[in-house]
Amino acid sequence: MSPQVAAYWYVFLKGVGITLWISWLALILGGVVGLVIGLLRIAPWAIVRWAAIVYIEVFRSVPPLVLFFGCFYGLSFAMKLDLSPFSAATIALTLTASALMAEVVRAGIESVTRGQWEAALSQGMTYPQVFRYVIWPQAIRVMLPPSVGVYISTLKDSSLASIIGYVELTKSGLLVRESTGISFEVLLIIAILYFIINYSISLVGTALERRFKYVH
Amino acid sequence: MSTDPSSPVLRIEGLVKRYGPHLVIDGVDLDVAAGQVVVFVGPSGTGKSTLLRCVNGLEDIQGGRILFEGQPVLSRSSAIHAVRRRIGMIFQGFNLYPHLTALQNVTLAPVKVLGEPAKDVEERARGLFRKVRLEHRAHAFPSQLSGGEQQRVAIARALAMNPHLLMFDEPTSALDPETVGDVLAVMEDLAREGRTMLVVTHEIGFARHVGDRMIFMDGGKIVEDRPPEEMIASPENPRTRQFLGSILHH
Repeated sequence: MSPQVAAYWYVFLKGVGITLWISWLALILGGVVGLVIGLLRIAPWAIVRWAAIVYIEVFRSVPPLVLFFGCFYGLSFAMKLDLSPFSAATIALTLTASALMAEVVRAGIESVTRGQWEAALSQGMTYPQVFRYVIWPQAIRVMLPPSVGVYISTLKDSSLASIIGYVELTKSGLLVRESTGISFEVLLIIAILYFIINYSISLVGTALERRFKYVH
Repeated sequence: MSTDPSSPVLRIEGLVKRYGPHLVIDGVDLDVAAGQVVVFVGPSGTGKSTLLRCVNGLEDIQGGRILFEGQPVLSRSSAIHAVRRRIGMIFQGFNLYPHLTALQNVTLAPVKVLGEPAKDVEERARGLFRKVRLEHRAHAFPSQLSGGEQQRVAIARALAMNPHLLMFDEPTSALDPETVGDVLAVMEDLAREGRTMLVVTHEIGFARHVGDRMIFMDGGKIVEDRPPEEMIASPENPRTRQFLGSILHH
């Protein structure tokens, strides 16, 4: 590593921290919103299901970059809000993550067989009890691997926040490139840092998956 | 176990069940007294399993009514939960909770639904594991148990709620032949204890030895309802004769 670039190590480090923070925040918010939307997606009322389907299809079809612009400029303009790049990026990432998580939640719940509902209902459990004690603990095991995938893709999408001026890892790197004039090395460092972060998440996911497996 | 011994535990009047245009149960009347073991036989698709599923409200009904211990069974009312707590159901596919151990399968509902202290329930569960001859398997997960063992855990799970009626929906149909006997032996013990039981099965030997009544169903109707010995020895209806002939000569 050339000394000019190495001198900026703390900028990269801060960028890593901010990228982790905003993608984590978006995953948590997206997880909560996605859980609600995912449950509405399988609700017994057609109109509610339809609304959930529209939400999911819209926000997973629109490219994240368009959402970033939409939130930063569109929301600010339409609702007379003065959104910071951070708020706009968080909202945009949450919209995409929640649409993806909603499908993960739906698939997880639908993976539990009808017989499980029937066994639990036949014991006199109410729907919330069946869900809490029988369905959810089984669904969450199915949801774990694709959730890790959603987190990784959210983290990568967060690099687009650099476009609206939010200084996360990619933007930090671009700033270092500007002040040092060194391009290839800086971009390589950014790529390696993303790889280390995402590969670590992937490893943690695999470990969690193993812990959550039923005994066989 | 019913409060008034003279009134039936279960009364079914003019029951009609349709799936869309398809008539599955076509006007069934049935009274079951406390302590009776009623065995349902007949070709598949004649509404035997559906009948059981109507009794605990897993299916809604299109006509007639069902009274369990004098209370109407309404699948969509909130009172259905209280009815189901007093009816144990055993399924063909066991339907044990795969994320819980055998013991946890048995204790879950009494603790969470009936709100009983976990310690008491666990003690009762241990007794039930002895009853179904699985004391050594209480801490195994369902995936570690054979089909016959899983079905006996499912029976213990149903018994843990202290039900007033037990319903068995083809309990041995999904089992390897060598484990069928263990499950039938447990069911026979329960019958000897005087429990009220509805059993859908193709095990004619079980019906003959354990059943008080044998009901032959065909086309969504009860065709014949008599003591098993009599029905097997001299079926009255030609359809009963044909059906029993086909399964007894195998």
